[in-house]
Amino acid sequence: MRSSKSSTAKALTSALSGRWVPVFILLEIVYFCFRSEGFANPNSLQILLFYGVQVFLVATAELFVIITGGIDLSVGYVLGFATVISIKLVAKMMAIGISPPAALLLATIATLAIGVVPGLVNGALVAYLKVPPFIATFSMLGVCHGISELIINGVSAVGLPKLASDIGLGYIFYIVPGSRSSFFVKPEVPRGTAVLQILPNIVIITFVVVALFAFVLARTKFGRHVYALGGNMDAAIRSGIPVKRRILGVYAISSFLASLAGIVYAFMYVSGKADAGAGLLLDAIAAVVIGGASMFGGSGTVWRTMLGALVIAVLDLGLRMSGIPTFDEFILVGVILIFAVVMDRYMQEAS
Amino acid sequence: MGGEPPIPRGSITCGRATMIVEQASRGGAKFWETGAGKSFASNWAAYFLVLMLIVFGFTGANFLSVTNFQNVIHLQTVPLLLAAAETFVIITGGIDLSVGFVMGLASVGAASLMQIFVAAALPVGWTIGLATAIVLIASVVPGFVSGIVITRFKVPPFIATMGMWGIANGVALKISQGFPMAGLPDKLTSIGNGYLLYVLPGQFVSAFAKPDYFPDSRIRELWRLVPFSLPFIIVAISVLSFALKRGRFGRHTYAIGGNVDAAIRSGISVDRHLVKVYVLSSFLAGLGGVFNVFQTGIGNYTTFNAQYEFFAVAAVVIGGASLMGGKGRIWSSAIGVLVLAFLENGLSISGVQPFYRYIAVGVLLVLAVVIDKLFPDIR
Repeated sequence: MRSSKSSTAKALTSALSGRWVPVFILLEIVYFCFRSEGFANPNSLQILLFYGVQVFLVATAELFVIITGGIDLSVGYVLGFATVISIKLVAKMMAIGISPPAALLLATIATLAIGVVPGLVNGALVAYLKVPPFIATFSMLGVCHGISELIINGVSAVGLPKLASDIGLGYIFYIVPGSRSSFFVKPEVPRGTAVLQILPNIVIITFVVVALFAFVLARTKFGRHVYALGGNMDAAIRSGIPVKRRILGVYAISSFLASLAGIVYAFMYVSGKADAGAGLLLDAIAAVVIGGASMFGGSGTVWRTMLGALVIAVLDLGLRMSGIPTFDEFILVGVILIFAVVMDRYMQEAS
Repeated sequence: MGGEPPIPRGSITCGRATMIVEQASRGGAKFWETGAGKSFASNWAAYFLVLMLIVFGFTGANFLSVTNFQNVIHLQTVPLLLAAAETFVIITGGIDLSVGFVMGLASVGAASLMQIFVAAALPVGWTIGLATAIVLIASVVPGFVSGIVITRFKVPPFIATMGMWGIANGVALKISQGFPMAGLPDKLTSIGNGYLLYVLPGQFVSAFAKPDYFPDSRIRELWRLVPFSLPFIIVAISVLSFALKRGRFGRHTYAIGGNVDAAIRSGISVDRHLVKVYVLSSFLAGLGGVFNVFQTGIGNYTTFNAQYEFFAVAAVVIGGASLMGGKGRIWSSAIGVLVLAFLENGLSISGVQPFYRYIAVGVLLVLAVVIDKLFPDIR
């Protein structure tokens, strides 16, 4: 009896091993479907992906760094920095007569280019000056915070053209049931007519970029090197991997993705703040850890990090739609974060 | 035209400098191997503090004044407590990211208890005393939980205390509903912001409170000396420093940070000790929170922008501790706090925009670590 029971438990744990996160997400969804009427709606999926884009991007950023055994505390404020400079750049360009589409495009490119700089500095400090990642990236957090506050001088950065929010809040397909459909542009319909909106633009942009970086991590030499140096630095050095350049690259990627998240934020909310991403650090690290990556480096995948981010995105939307104050979210994310590590440890020991 | 092109000259100087360094190292005694070098390396933060005081003394009017110094120390009481807490944890090789939010939780917790007691018409003394006592006792709970999670479930300190960061923040926001909590006894601020001596030169000297007949409107004419927070923080830091330097508790803390295996072999129950360290850290954060209520007269939850925990870690690192553990001193961490504090204070008195402070802190931190790398084996 007893042995059969324990073997069932063993079978259960080994079946769940590494797969408890999807089960957890399912449980979350079922719970919130009962809890709030609006949640049980296919549209919820789009909405939670829409409001989760920052977490998805910043979690991917953090994953790269955590695989090397480091940590990037600056992502949230690099995000804020990017919201501020992208909006200021667009406003400046439009003031000198550049058309809105061109200004948005140029400012985006310029912001991404500038946004890599904090990462390069972080990477140089960590790789070449051997400053612990915690200290290097915290310093960069302060520098980005300071510079963005200096630029905006205490008020939110504003002045994006309407086109920005059309992109940021727009969808790829619009279908007016029974009559017509259109791409990108919301059809003109009488008030009160239902329009099906499918696939938010920024969700597509986000997942294209995330997929690209998933490919970089999983299939390229760069990705293999990142895992190698996170797993065993000495072995990586001995096998001739240019460790310092790779670390530099990893922090640059982190900062690049955080800047992209900032630009997306600017398009979504049409305002820029130095502390736009201040609360994101907990979410991003939680997503990576729930996704099974080790804080000591060497493990983790983008796919599983996305599942981790989904845990948080579902929680976020579910709590909002159930009318529970967002204060509870901090508590729950904190608990789930610790629970995730305990769970992984338990699964490892069981199998 | 005329004169040599600058580039070769530069390179010659460079070569000469290299030669001098090589000679020095061949000669044996590098600067940082000498006694003076070591003393500089282990106390550079203190020298830097003095240098900063001198510079700001020239650039900022009234920077070098008793009032300003008293204000800085008074406002740094909480960061000093948090840095002391973080020092213990960092010496064990861990980190406690939850201190800032535990502090905020203690602040709103104490405030909400006081609100309840005020509503229950308890006498002022009981209201304040009871709330303080309950919060101080309860403030060990977050640290105990973190400690258990870290030792029993082998969760890395970074993750465990980051989880506690979220939990404490959420609970604090829930209690306060996202607003500062007012309606507390007035007595709080008169204790928290009181001074030992009130002097009107040539007229009177009064201890603990200004004379009743002296009008509030003329309070700026008084010399107010020694805020209560000063003896409080000096005693707190001295006790903690003594415990770390001389006591068994401190010996075990260093032993665990230096080499866990050796600590286990020498019979230290590492897990129990680590739990105690996180409990102490959380208690000191709670003490900071209670002090915050006395200082401001309201309950404040901690905002993300405050970053108390990161500034505490920064102060500890500037004070010469290593995030790898085994190294660190309470008084040095206190100097680290003062470096950050006077940097902010001096810059703002000198008319520099406050946001440069963030940048300056960043640069200083990196400098601290680089100096630490130049002088590797000092304690």
